[in-house]
Amino acid sequence: MHHINLTIPPGQFVLVVGGSGSGKSSLLRAISRLIPDFYGGAYKGRIYLGGMELRELKHRDLVEQVGLVFQDPESQMITTSVEGEVAFGLENLGLSNHLMKRRVMEATSALRLTGCRHRFIPELSGGEKQKVALASILAMQPEIVLLDEPTSQLDPVAGEDILALLRRLNEENGITVVLIEQRLERCFHLADRVLVMEEGRIVFDHDSPGAIASWAVENGTPFVPPLVKLFAGVGYIQAPVTVKEGREILRRCGQPDLSAVKKVEPASCGKPAVREGNGEQPLVDIEGLWFTYPNGEEALKNINLRINPGDFIVLMGDTGAGKTTLIKTINGLLRPGRGRVKFRGQDIRQLMVEDLASTIGYLSQNPGDYLFLPTVREELAFTLGNLGLPDNGIVDTVLDRLQLTACADANPRDLSTGERQRVALASILVGRPRLLLLDEPTRGLDYELKQVLGEILQELQAEDTAVAVVTHDVEFAAEYAEDVVLMADGAIIARGSKYEMLTGSTFYSPQVNKLFNGIADQVVTLAEGKMVLDEVMNNEK
Amino acid sequence: MLSYREKDSLIHRLHPAVVVALAASIFILSLVFSHLLYLLGLLLAVGAVIAAAGILAEWGSYLKFSIPLVLLIMLVNGLLVQMGDTVLVAAALPGLGTVKITLEALTYGAGMGLRLLVVISAFALYTHAVHPDKMLGLLGGRGSKSILAATLATRLFPLIIEDFRRITEVQRCRGVRFQEGNWRERVRKWVPVAGVLLTSSLEQSLRLAAAMYVRGYGSGPRSRYHRELFRPRDYLVLLATTGGLAAGIWAALQGWSSYTYYPRLVGFRPEEIKMASVVTLALALPAILSWGWKKWPCLRSKI
Repeated sequence: MHHINLTIPPGQFVLVVGGSGSGKSSLLRAISRLIPDFYGGAYKGRIYLGGMELRELKHRDLVEQVGLVFQDPESQMITTSVEGEVAFGLENLGLSNHLMKRRVMEATSALRLTGCRHRFIPELSGGEKQKVALASILAMQPEIVLLDEPTSQLDPVAGEDILALLRRLNEENGITVVLIEQRLERCFHLADRVLVMEEGRIVFDHDSPGAIASWAVENGTPFVPPLVKLFAGVGYIQAPVTVKEGREILRRCGQPDLSAVKKVEPASCGKPAVREGNGEQPLVDIEGLWFTYPNGEEALKNINLRINPGDFIVLMGDTGAGKTTLIKTINGLLRPGRGRVKFRGQDIRQLMVEDLASTIGYLSQNPGDYLFLPTVREELAFTLGNLGLPDNGIVDTVLDRLQLTACADANPRDLSTGERQRVALASILVGRPRLLLLDEPTRGLDYELKQVLGEILQELQAEDTAVAVVTHDVEFAAEYAEDVVLMADGAIIARGSKYEMLTGSTFYSPQVNKLFNGIADQVVTLAEGKMVLDEVMNNEK
Repeated sequence: MLSYREKDSLIHRLHPAVVVALAASIFILSLVFSHLLYLLGLLLAVGAVIAAAGILAEWGSYLKFSIPLVLLIMLVNGLLVQMGDTVLVAAALPGLGTVKITLEALTYGAGMGLRLLVVISAFALYTHAVHPDKMLGLLGGRGSKSILAATLATRLFPLIIEDFRRITEVQRCRGVRFQEGNWRERVRKWVPVAGVLLTSSLEQSLRLAAAMYVRGYGSGPRSRYHRELFRPRDYLVLLATTGGLAAGIWAALQGWSSYTYYPRLVGFRPEEIKMASVVTLALALPAILSWGWKKWPCLRSKI
């Protein structure tokens, strides 16, 4: 952090945005005194909390005033019961049992966790776990709640739920909220104030999200919601931050010539609506696949799916819908219970995961699982060695393609989140797979890094590599994928082009589609949105 | 993952101390008794309670490996112990001379196997019917650091198992063949897994410690949160358990709970049958209560 001067009045809802390594988390850790008390280090300057210097406060007094919720709900759960978890902080404060009971009851009721109070934490969903984490902080009744990307691990519905709760707590209880988020389309409109950080500095600070949107557009920063980008792209300075505002602007522009606008079809935007197989053998052919885990959980039910070379499909659906299980049956990590999975015409049962490793690349949810060697270059060479493939310059090519050449000799564990993600992807790509299976690759990535990843995947698709991505990120799916497979309760509910699947839905539509809903329904990408918006604006003139 | 799962049963709704007392009593009595009838009674009692708790499937997974073990004990005992008058098979084996298998030795093996089954079943009951946090909460108060360490271990161990599974999968997807090569090569293949696991566990521990810090751990003396209440059902089960334990010990002192296997099996005396029935019924009371709990819903508000 460099030269941070910041005053947050009580009751404000502050949104902190910025790229990986911009200092957002460090700022929150300094406010909660994790820096320097826990993580070490030192800082110059002073942080005051209600007129008292932070360093002079006793630990107990501090945690009674400031609470911090982390990114990963799993790694902040200390006990195995909801009630015990919420009470843990209260026990640390030395409160009486009588008072603790009251606080536990209040906090769980406020977060609608009353029914879960006696439940076992490993059985909760990700959204419920994150609510428990928030409840355990709120039970301590802090005046300030700091949240470090609390929704990044959650599906869209659970994420919306957490953010709505935060807004309610802020409005009804006057709790000061400082929130770091990457998916700005979810929360830009909730904030009273937005801080933009770059290289450890606060480069912009304004209490109007609209003003900050305009500033971001003028300065070309990527950390703005898609709608802002869209309106800025056509030169509209007072960019809207919500779909409601955007539609209001469209209305103010006058009644557009809908007949003209509706002519904008996906094909005219350079993207085919649905990619059809070319009659050749599919890369993956799944027929009547069922899978049940040893505990009896029926995770896949009668799955039928084809993946052709050059397909780019996205698997979406709630947590527990069976998305990860499905991609694990494709690469042989899980064996089908009933039905058949064929890869290039061969039944997957006859092949080992290791046999498929050179043709099916699999990137798990945690890139850290791939990194154990001293340098990035050795990580890539490790895969080549296992697969018995010669280098032939492929390591340098992949490093260059993923913009990793500069850190080829660095320890991968020392790299940033986005770089780690790319190293893990590179360690797969050196095997030149024909099919890439990626499980939640955009988790924790900022807009810029997501764009880099999306473009790389599209390049691979253009080279006829099939790509299947499990994600909750609707905006990413809308921008880069071709087809969307929607799953629920172990079954495929629907498959179609993104123009069919990501339009007219409450949760599974990108902002740009919601904006033009009823005006030009087949719009899902920013480029398409820009075309339509141009026509609307021209119509006004 | 953790084996405990919350279930809608009377056994899961008992005070954790009561279930612990029940499992401990069965365990202690299984060590005290050597009489087949008493051990069989204990197995019936613990089996009935397990069935009432709805954890038969979990018990089944324990029995899957323990029953073959029981058969092995019977076989080894039958082969190695040459005592007993009722010879079932006798054969001359090279180097061992004449080996005879007697009914008494096989029955003794069965008795010891039964004891093993009871011990394993008591542990199964404890593992699947007592919430780990509540159990640790019972021990709370003094020495809370050790209790917290145990709580964290309970919480982290399943996560480490999950990490191990995931990291191994990732390695296989990168072409590592763990089953191939000589033992040195195989060991070498596991080194990266251990490395990633260690690093991930350290990172996980660090994140957990940070979460504890922001929730005030170490900021001063802690208090203890407890909401567990004693209800009539807890008193009933505790009374029956204490009664069963006392009856068992009394029977042992009377010499009714030990059985003479050698040189020839003897019949069961009426007092032995009576006391074994008393102990079995007393320890199976939670199962009987559970049956009433399901049959008469009004009983739920009474106990």
